[in-house]
Amino acid sequence: MWGLTEQELRRSTASPAAGNDCCDASPAPVGEGEAAANYKVAMVELKQVSVVYGDQHALRRVSLSVEKGEFVFLVGATGAGKSTLFKLLYGETRPAEGEVWVLGQPIHRLKPRELPFLRRRMGIVPQDYPLLPRKTVWENIAYGLRAIGYNESAVRQRVAQVLALVGLNEQARQMPNQLSGGEAQRAAIARAIANNPPLLIADEPTANLDPDTSWEIIELLMRINLRGATVIVSTHNRGIVDRACQRVVAMDRGQIISDVPRGGYPIELDRLHASVML
Amino acid sequence: MMDRLRFVLLETWESLTRNATMQAAAITTACVALMLLGGAGMALYKLDAAAQALPSQFEAEVFLKTSATREQALELKAQLENMPEIVRVTLTPREVAWEQEKQKLEDRVNLADLPNPLPDKLTVRVRSPELLPAVSEQIAQSPLVDEVIDSRQELKTVLAISHLVRWIGLGAGGMLLLAALVLIYNTVRLTIFSRQREVRVMALVGATLRSIRLPFVLEGMVQGAVGGALAATLTLLVAAFLSDYLIHQWPFLNDLPPGLPPSTVIMGLPTLGAFMGGLCAWWATQRYVHI
Repeated sequence: MWGLTEQELRRSTASPAAGNDCCDASPAPVGEGEAAANYKVAMVELKQVSVVYGDQHALRRVSLSVEKGEFVFLVGATGAGKSTLFKLLYGETRPAEGEVWVLGQPIHRLKPRELPFLRRRMGIVPQDYPLLPRKTVWENIAYGLRAIGYNESAVRQRVAQVLALVGLNEQARQMPNQLSGGEAQRAAIARAIANNPPLLIADEPTANLDPDTSWEIIELLMRINLRGATVIVSTHNRGIVDRACQRVVAMDRGQIISDVPRGGYPIELDRLHASVML
Repeated sequence: MMDRLRFVLLETWESLTRNATMQAAAITTACVALMLLGGAGMALYKLDAAAQALPSQFEAEVFLKTSATREQALELKAQLENMPEIVRVTLTPREVAWEQEKQKLEDRVNLADLPNPLPDKLTVRVRSPELLPAVSEQIAQSPLVDEVIDSRQELKTVLAISHLVRWIGLGAGGMLLLAALVLIYNTVRLTIFSRQREVRVMALVGATLRSIRLPFVLEGMVQGAVGGALAATLTLLVAAFLSDYLIHQWPFLNDLPPGLPPSTVIMGLPTLGAFMGGLCAWWATQRYVHI
């Protein structure tokens, strides 16, 4: 189910030597049939959203639309508002003004008891607390499924599938402290996609990883994107943004300052890097 | 449904078996609090039973006028027996009383030739000691009655002590209960803090608030029940030791009514512990577990 053809991989990734030349203006592949037909469906829509902590604006009148099947990088320096924007998407933060629509649901109006049912349709890789330290990789992935009521046979089946997808079959019985940084991040992604969500949000999944491992993580996320999931990733890593050639939304001081579409001109990306990336 | 229940129970079990130090702290807290509460409860039950037993011995003795005929005495007895406050009325006819008096004094005084000076007497037992003063007043108003003797002053003193014991019991028990609740609440709060990671992961994968909170509540109930069982055992052991010691020192204590049955302590403290643990855990999760 999660397997990927060579052709798909070539379409989604660039060779390290190719730099920005890999970027083309064709729409992101979203898989077959229905997914492709629904490409223009907005998975995420923020309308004039502001978030205020005390007297500080974490987000200021932000508008953003992410359509089904897109792969979006959210970039910006620390404190730019990326994590706040992510928290808005899964309802951990409420907007002071504006509207937040995710998977067709108005999160700004949802009651707390309704949030879990929306979150089950999202895969969330948080920046903090990615794995439970006292559970094995297998148990970590199964934990999320059990928590939302999957039965044992379905849990076994799904965990085996996602472990194969992220390439952690051999590490299934290892504890998180026995994993490398990249393996731990892959395990966290596996847990997030175990429920086969149409939307995946990953907050700094490449933080503290070396360039090769970072790229492996991004490749994995792009594979998931190719299977039909909409993916939004925040990062500081310029190299992977250059190589991936996907849509890049840049933030600075709580505002979106640039939104370069997939296959955008390298010159725009250069300007972007110069202004906001580390 | 069964899978979710299994998940909740497994989570509770894992948490109970994993954080040994935290569990020991919670169970010890519950045990100490419940032991104090159980001990105080047993002592107060005994005191209250003793205080209640003493005034029940009080009865009013109603002496009729010598002019009252037997028919009038029996009529009054029937009237009194119909009063809801009165449990029993016994008539002691004047000739019976006089015979008893003569027998009692036959070694010292010869009363054989004297006319009988005694009146008929009614002995009245009321339903509860608090009713005795009012009932005595009422009986004294009958034209057939010469005098009512009910040891009212003595009764008042005993009743006052009985009420005091009850109020002290309620006050001390309430304070101990509150202290126990706060201690258990605090322990559950620490447990929640130590498991923030699990809470966050469950929240992010879409577990409902109820599913996240339930293992904590069950954990609190188990901690309370185990603490209660330990407290019951220790309380009964200490009570048995103290009881032997005190009876040995003051044998009259043996005449007091029996204390709280051990089965009540064995069943009651773990149940109370489970309830308190569950309540505190529920309270703590309401404050500290959010999605």
